Amino acid sequence: MKQIKLRVIIIGAFFTFFFIIIGVKAMYLQVFRGSWLSQKAANQYEVSFKSSGKRGTIFDRNLREMAVSIDVTSIAAHPSQIEHPKSAARLLSKALKIDRKVLAKKLNSKKKFVWIKRKVTPKEAEAVKKLNMEGLDFILEHKRFFPNKTLAAQLIGFTDIDDHGSEGIEYNYDDDLSGEVFQYTVLRDAHGRGFEAEKMTGLSSSGKNLVLTIDSTIQYIAEKTLGETVKKFSAKSGMVIVMVPKTGAILAMAHVPLFNPNALKRSHRKYWRNRIITDPFEPGSTMKIFSAAAAIESGSSSPSSIFFCENGAYKMGKHVIHDTHEHGWLSLQQIIKYSSNIGAIKFSAVTGSEYLSRTFQNFGFGSKTGIDCPGETAGNLPPFRRWTKVDAGTISFGQGVSVSALQLIVATSAVANKGILMKPYVVQAITDHNGRLIKSFGPRRIRRVISEKTAGMLSRIMQTVITEGGTGVNAALEGYSACGKTGTAQKIDENGRYSYDKYVSSFIGFAPVENPKIAVLVVVDEPVKQHYGSIVAAPAFKAIAQKTLDYMHIAPKRKTDKVMVSLRR
Amino acid sequence: MASDKQKKQNDRKQPMQYDIALLFPVLFLVGIGIVMVYSASSALALKKFGTSYYFLKKQSIFALLGIVVLVISCHIPYHIFRSLTYPLLILAAMLLFAILISGFGYSAGGAKRWFRIAGFTFQPSEFARFVLVIFLAYSMNKKMNRIKEFKVGFLPHVLVLCMFAVLIMLQPDFGSVVIFGAITWIMLFVGGVRISYLLGSLVLIVPIVYSLMVSADYRIERIMSFMNPWQYSADKGYQVVHSLLAFGTGGIWGTGIGKGYQKLFYLPEPHTDFIFSVIGEELGLIGVLIILGLYTVILWRGISIARNSRDAFGSFVAIGLTTAIGLQICINMGVALGLLPTKGLTLPFLSYGGTSLLMNMVSIGVLMNIGAMKKVRKRVTSDR
Repeated sequence: MKQIKLRVIIIGAFFTFFFIIIGVKAMYLQVFRGSWLSQKAANQYEVSFKSSGKRGTIFDRNLREMAVSIDVTSIAAHPSQIEHPKSAARLLSKALKIDRKVLAKKLNSKKKFVWIKRKVTPKEAEAVKKLNMEGLDFILEHKRFFPNKTLAAQLIGFTDIDDHGSEGIEYNYDDDLSGEVFQYTVLRDAHGRGFEAEKMTGLSSSGKNLVLTIDSTIQYIAEKTLGETVKKFSAKSGMVIVMVPKTGAILAMAHVPLFNPNALKRSHRKYWRNRIITDPFEPGSTMKIFSAAAAIESGSSSPSSIFFCENGAYKMGKHVIHDTHEHGWLSLQQIIKYSSNIGAIKFSAVTGSEYLSRTFQNFGFGSKTGIDCPGETAGNLPPFRRWTKVDAGTISFGQGVSVSALQLIVATSAVANKGILMKPYVVQAITDHNGRLIKSFGPRRIRRVISEKTAGMLSRIMQTVITEGGTGVNAALEGYSACGKTGTAQKIDENGRYSYDKYVSSFIGFAPVENPKIAVLVVVDEPVKQHYGSIVAAPAFKAIAQKTLDYMHIAPKRKTDKVMVSLRR
Repeated sequence: MASDKQKKQNDRKQPMQYDIALLFPVLFLVGIGIVMVYSASSALALKKFGTSYYFLKKQSIFALLGIVVLVISCHIPYHIFRSLTYPLLILAAMLLFAILISGFGYSAGGAKRWFRIAGFTFQPSEFARFVLVIFLAYSMNKKMNRIKEFKVGFLPHVLVLCMFAVLIMLQPDFGSVVIFGAITWIMLFVGGVRISYLLGSLVLIVPIVYSLMVSADYRIERIMSFMNPWQYSADKGYQVVHSLLAFGTGGIWGTGIGKGYQKLFYLPEPHTDFIFSVIGEELGLIGVLIILGLYTVILWRGISIARNSRDAFGSFVAIGLTTAIGLQICINMGVALGLLPTKGLTLPFLSYGGTSLLMNMVSIGVLMNIGAMKKVRKRVTSDR
């Protein structure tokens, strides 16, 4: 018995020893490693959470929705909580139609959080919810939706997967449109479910709305007409801008080919940009309006000053400049009406390079208009000191100088607006989610470019362009007076020489003459069957201007007699 | 004198005096256990059963039942077990065998360890552990004089252990086998078996244990993760790491009951195997030391009952039951603190688990009976 008692004490000593170790280890963990361990633990159950409010809506001027955000579900997973990654991958790939191997890789990863599929359809979300799988997270996100599909797509732009604008207005006004992003810390259990902190979804976090100057009906008219024109002449592409000359408000910016921002992947990236703003081109004869403006404003010529047009061929150094029609003596007015290149060279020579250059600059060429769209080009107006005699000549009729379509219509609008250049804009107001006005943008005058008198003379000259014998007869409107100018520019080919089969055909004009309500520019790139602006672009101008004025309830004044005869150029 | 005698006679009529020093810590631990099981399991219960009270209710019922069986067993003279040794041994073996037969056993997590009766589960290995102690005490007591002989004192006991070990390994439940082996080893040591046999058996067992560990992938992974839990924290060391994090977060004073985080699905089995971690997090070092102190009192009482038993059988039973409880405590706490590789063992009186709680309460009852008998005997002798 005595020995038993002794051995029992040994056992007791053994337990005492082990208990001391346990106590020491507990003390070590809880006192000496406490802060390190608790920090490490906190890293695991504290999850900072980003929640962004709904992106604001983009409206047209009549508050018709052009871009809206809709609630969508995104599916994420916490791989460590997926019990059977293999079968989970199989079930999810079936429900979401994504590759099983990719999914299995994601689910087997050591990351705490992986996206399974973002912005799924309601049907897909339902199917996944039915799986009742542990370790999945359904996260509310917003998806951009463009209810009018292709309408004004290049202008409005689109957003990336994270709901940030990546092109167009969406990009330029991203800060306003974006919902506020809240970053807050939630404590989460091992299944990734938040506890303690309720989900914060404040209405105040929604983004602001934009009200555009665009009228979606006019935009539609422009896109439809342009589409038909581009198709009819098998052209590469086309652009139309409709602008209010007195304010600078843009009513339509149309590009063909169209693309649907709801299905970005189905269109080529090169059609996404707003070429009206970003792409410079050589304008051709439409530039003669501003050469004439310089000539008249400088006082060196008047509309009735006459110039000899060399019967259609004018030798300048090694180069010979041609007119499409042979002309002898023409007045400045006639030079514009018949679009004589030689005439333009002649009257501009009298104006002088410096004055011509300065006038072009005042009209806004060579510098950005400052429109609220991203990626604007300044075009290229070479400094007059570097102009050769030939340069000075060609620039006066719009070759050797490049402009954006926007610059061209802004400059023309200055003529319509009695000589005052207005700043173009596409966003007229920012409102909050209740529709209350936060900020509004109105017309902004940039400068007076030419006198009211010169502007009046130019208007009358441009009016003759679409009368009998002028190049723009096809642009004549029914019931409204109109001004205009055709343009046909040879494109520069790969060898750096002017091409003989690639043209940019254009027509620019405004109406009604007495009180211009709209200015319209039509640009058609590389039409195949015909290339004269008078034939390709003028009819499109007519269709667009006619329909737009009707739509705007502008009272027709008089009936124009149909002019049957037209001159080319 | 007469009144004095009367009093002593009354004492003799009441042979049972409750050992307060043993009973109080046990009841206190059971009480803490109910609270901590609720705290640890409420989130899990809500998710699995739709009510956060699921484990709380069951554990409370077990606690009441446990007190009942404690009271009953402390009134049963422990000598009865001597005559019941073989029937109990056969019953235990049959139960262990029965759960292996499909249809009877209720498996969880890949191992068949339970019977399911009317919504409650019963774990035969907990019962078998008690029976093993009784058998060893009975057998060693009987063979006391020839205990040094290999064929008498050592081999038969090891064979019975092997029978249990094989049956339990088939479930498989490696942790229980380790406990069974350790109990046998310690009891044989106390009984006076030659130290050379005992040390020799260790030398023999090490390669066997090693080969068993290598044979099951999950065991070697557990060992690896034990060596370096942080490196394996994403998968295999996950349990240990979260247990350590729980202790660290608790610090000295704890986060407060119900305010721990690691039980929220970070810790596996927070209400059974890892309840000590939850205590460490929510009650802090203070709570851990209080628990440790209560266990110390229980073990101290067990050991002194073993020392002061009036016969060798009582001593053996007492040391066997005390060892069984002590080993569970050491292994469970050792695992939670990262001192030992992961074993699925409960913490006596605290962990959720019906069979475990009931069998431990029975053990305390028997211990109290052994302790009380000694007093009776002493008084009887003093009367003479």
